[in-house]
Amino acid sequence: MAVINYDSELRRAGAHSTHGWRKLTYLVQRHMLGAIGLVIMVLFVMAALLADFIGRYDPLSVDSLQRLAPPSALHWLGTDSFGRDVWSRIIHGARISLAVGVGSTLLGSSIGVMVGLASGYLSGWVDLVFQRITDILQALPLLVLALVMTAALGPSLPNVIIAIAIPLIPTVARVIRANTLALRELPFVEAAKSVGMSETRIALRHVLPNTLAPLIVLATAQLGSTILTEASLSFLGLGIPEPYPSWGRMLSESAAEYVRTAPWLVIFPGVAISLAVFGTNLFGDALRDILDPRQRG
Amino acid sequence: MFAYIVRRLILMLVTLFGISVIIFVLLRIVPGNIVDILFDAAGFVDQADKANLEKELGLDQPIFVQYLKWIGGLLHGDLGYSYVSEKPALQEILPRIPITARLAALALLFSAAIGIPLGVISAVKQGTRLDYALRVVSLSGLSLPSFWLGLLILMASVAMFGTMPIFNPNPRTWTEAFAIYCVPAMAVGFRSAALVMRITRSSMLEILRQDYIRTARAKGASESSVNYHHALKNAVLPVITIIGIEAAFLIGGLIVTETVFNIPGVARFLVEAIRWRDYPIVQNLVMLIALVVVVTNFTVDMLYAAIDPRIRYTD
Amino acid sequence: MRSVRALAAVALSLLAASSVAALAGEPKNGGILRVYHRDSPASASIHEEATYSVNIPFMPIFNNLVIYKQDVPQNSMESIVPDLAESWAWSDDKKKLSFKLRQGVKWHDGKPFTSADVKCTFDMLMGKSQQKFRKNPRKSWYDEVVDVTVNGDFEASFNLKRPQPALLALLASGYTPVYPCHVSPGDMRTKPTGTGPFKFVEFKANESIKITRNPDYWKKGLPHLDGIEFTIIPNRSTAILGFISGQFDMTFPTEVSIPLLKDVQKQAPKATCVVEPVNVSTNIIVNSSAPPFDNLDIRRAMALALDRKAFVSILYEGQADIGGTMLPAPGGLWAMPKEMLETIPGYGPDINANREEARKLMAKAGYGPGKHLAVKVATRNIPIYRDPAIILIDQLKSIHIDGELDVVETANWFSKVARKDYTLGLNLTGNAVDDPDQSFYENYSCGSERNYTNYCNKDIEKLFDEQSAETDVAKRKKLVWEIDKKLQEDVARPIIYHGRMGSCWQPYVKGITIMVNSSYNGYRYEDVWMDK
Repeated sequence: MAVINYDSELRRAGAHSTHGWRKLTYLVQRHMLGAIGLVIMVLFVMAALLADFIGRYDPLSVDSLQRLAPPSALHWLGTDSFGRDVWSRIIHGARISLAVGVGSTLLGSSIGVMVGLASGYLSGWVDLVFQRITDILQALPLLVLALVMTAALGPSLPNVIIAIAIPLIPTVARVIRANTLALRELPFVEAAKSVGMSETRIALRHVLPNTLAPLIVLATAQLGSTILTEASLSFLGLGIPEPYPSWGRMLSESAAEYVRTAPWLVIFPGVAISLAVFGTNLFGDALRDILDPRQRG
Repeated sequence: MFAYIVRRLILMLVTLFGISVIIFVLLRIVPGNIVDILFDAAGFVDQADKANLEKELGLDQPIFVQYLKWIGGLLHGDLGYSYVSEKPALQEILPRIPITARLAALALLFSAAIGIPLGVISAVKQGTRLDYALRVVSLSGLSLPSFWLGLLILMASVAMFGTMPIFNPNPRTWTEAFAIYCVPAMAVGFRSAALVMRITRSSMLEILRQDYIRTARAKGASESSVNYHHALKNAVLPVITIIGIEAAFLIGGLIVTETVFNIPGVARFLVEAIRWRDYPIVQNLVMLIALVVVVTNFTVDMLYAAIDPRIRYTD
Repeated sequence: MRSVRALAAVALSLLAASSVAALAGEPKNGGILRVYHRDSPASASIHEEATYSVNIPFMPIFNNLVIYKQDVPQNSMESIVPDLAESWAWSDDKKKLSFKLRQGVKWHDGKPFTSADVKCTFDMLMGKSQQKFRKNPRKSWYDEVVDVTVNGDFEASFNLKRPQPALLALLASGYTPVYPCHVSPGDMRTKPTGTGPFKFVEFKANESIKITRNPDYWKKGLPHLDGIEFTIIPNRSTAILGFISGQFDMTFPTEVSIPLLKDVQKQAPKATCVVEPVNVSTNIIVNSSAPPFDNLDIRRAMALALDRKAFVSILYEGQADIGGTMLPAPGGLWAMPKEMLETIPGYGPDINANREEARKLMAKAGYGPGKHLAVKVATRNIPIYRDPAIILIDQLKSIHIDGELDVVETANWFSKVARKDYTLGLNLTGNAVDDPDQSFYENYSCGSERNYTNYCNKDIEKLFDEQSAETDVAKRKKLVWEIDKKLQEDVARPIIYHGRMGSCWQPYVKGITIMVNSSYNGYRYEDVWMDK
């Protein structure tokens, strides 16, 4: 897996300029979908950060007179069975979903990188043990493992992040391991060794930076899965507990009682989830196209 | 070849063993067990009765004794007893499997029937607007939570037909059977279809670039025969991989869809058992799922090795 | 002449009566009643559970010693009729209740019913036998029973420490079936055997419960139905849709809320629907052993701030009853008269005056517009608990109390409140029978497991015993009213309202009687038939 020389790629593709704004606009033009995905993601991040300002009501405050109100000027997306404003809950829900999504992706990826690096670079029994562990973890589908882990750890925000992070480890570890194995054979590693560099230093200073590209691609691809898994866990009632506004749990409450009488409770949280994941997927696809053309397609 | 099979089989067993240990330990980390839940359901908490019940269920023994009991039983086909229904776990799990199997098969069929052709078209027409549109559609399919899709379908059925499909183990008419099985299968299969489409597309593209396609073209084979003859034949390999990957993917979708449509299958059973802390059921179900995934992967690998000899001698 | 006219009159009225009967139709035999069930019972053993989710499907399998007459909506001492006991009598000192048992009754597996079965059942309930129930929620019902003795195969007697007329009411409840000696409690949890009109067929957790006609039932000609099938559908919308579209013959009894009822009546105008009190009170449990509610002033302030009519109008569209611990008239038999009720702080008609007074009390405790009191209001995560909790929080705002909703999963609710891990809780208390013995002892006596508030007043407990031993009904009622009033004034567990729920069935279903003062006692179903 060669390091990508971006400038030469661009020139080969016929770019006229390789600097600054032109580069950017060229990128955007070439990967329009990815740009849209990025915009969507940025919007959600901003919503999460500015939740207190954009959300018009406190997402937790109950109002018995406004229970199950349809969308109106007062409540843009209606209210739920507690009288809580749906718009505010969706905006604040962005915080939760992004926290869980990003948190578990980061956690899972970092541990996965360490495991994959150690496994690929050190070989021997370390490799064997880690391989078996990743085998085991991969034998269970993501949702099942996350379900069992939240059941085991108990429903709370940090536990959900851990529960979703763990199934990510094997996928990341596998890719990083393969990458490391390939890189290990390259001449510059041999050269470093012959000069007397320690294994660890080689691993950290030379091998790791070159695994960054596939790692970023992988992580962005996983982000969508983690958001969906958190939504599924909360929908099943085994994820984020009350009273945090999780999009998935907003759907589980509405499903039971109000499919007929309050459809806005079903439609809007689902739209939020789909849009967030869609943006992530679009962006992830484009990123993969840019950083790792071998995987293009 | 034989050595390869044996090696893989041993690996499979090691993996399954590892899972059994992990699941067993995980379920017992958190304080609180089935006894707490049973008593809470009765609205009444008497400590002496609780202690008695724990002893009766064997919950007061050290963990690894309980583990050995379970594994020992497993090897004779005794899966233990469900705490909730007090029937043998096997008796509870077995009848639910066909229902989920039917749903899974239908979903696989649906996803293959839609995903493969669309993936091929997308690959062949790469770069065109059609390709673009199909890629967006497949991406959005992957972005929809399957339980939300299920909820939307329920809403639509209420709005259009005034009723929702209610599960009936013995459907009397074909329309009823269709409503009960195919509707949820489509909800599950939608995401899988998107996944299948993407993978088919990328592997078709990979194939189309291969040297031997160029050679075939150079030899003068017509465009269509190149596409549908050589390319597809060699795209069979990745399709087998797809089925392998899908197995894991589907199970997650089945869990939430069975919950939404209130279908008494094995996937929904897992969630119920977790809620009730019915350990025997949860343990066995997780092992079952792991078995299905691992065996599917094994079969896929065997098929792969059988078809492409290059794979056989590396690990 | 007169006698001929009288004879003619009698003949005519008989004719009229029989033609009315003919119009109503003779009960037809056959058919399987399809009902939806709202959740999966933890087990099939009535004695081990405490929810009507178990009574409704499994009561048809059993008989009691005595039972409330099933076609009389109001349970009372007068409506208690023989079941497995042909007759009964109190001894002169009222400390012994003897039952003459029916002969020729068989259990569903063919074995004969004898007095030994009665002794077995109640020995198990009192914890006296080798065989044990896993859970025994109503053990305290038999606190005054010394033992059960038998005299031959067909006579059994309860020997009491002191007179307790209410014992008969407790025995007539749907919660008190007679179990067989020869079937273990474990089997009764999974495959119950009874003597009743229906036999157990299967119980698939979270799926369905099926029972079938008992052809050897000792009441000849009954039951009319071939069987009953309960399909478990936790999703209320789906379930009600199933009823509207004709897939179910009946809704789960007493489960349709008033707002949903309007929907049902609109979509299924031919269905018969009734709304009756369920004898489940919605109340506030107060942790009076910890701040801030250990302060009587604050407790009183909270009681004064309640606008009960608002709860009733928002949640029940006006169709619920306001009262004290005992279910109010016309459904209930033991509630104090309206004039007496309104003298209790918080029950008076002038809400604003009440709240003014409440604010004064809060000020005395140091809280006012500048200093609010923050409390957590715990409740279960199901609508019938959550909805009143929200309204309560709103109403508490008027006296500077800022409530925060603390929703607890059902599986954790009872242990949480049992260990007093709450400040305020919105609770529902179901009463198995409309009798003060059951309500007072279970919920207010020191040391009772269900006394979630730790309320402990020895003087009042003496009054409990006094009313329990009182055999003159009129005197007993007066005592009960006094006690009820005191309990409310002590703000032990403020009762907000007694809800009413709807039950609906298709027009061809006949013979259903929904009780007006209990939701646990009316499900024998031996008289139900379908006209189709």
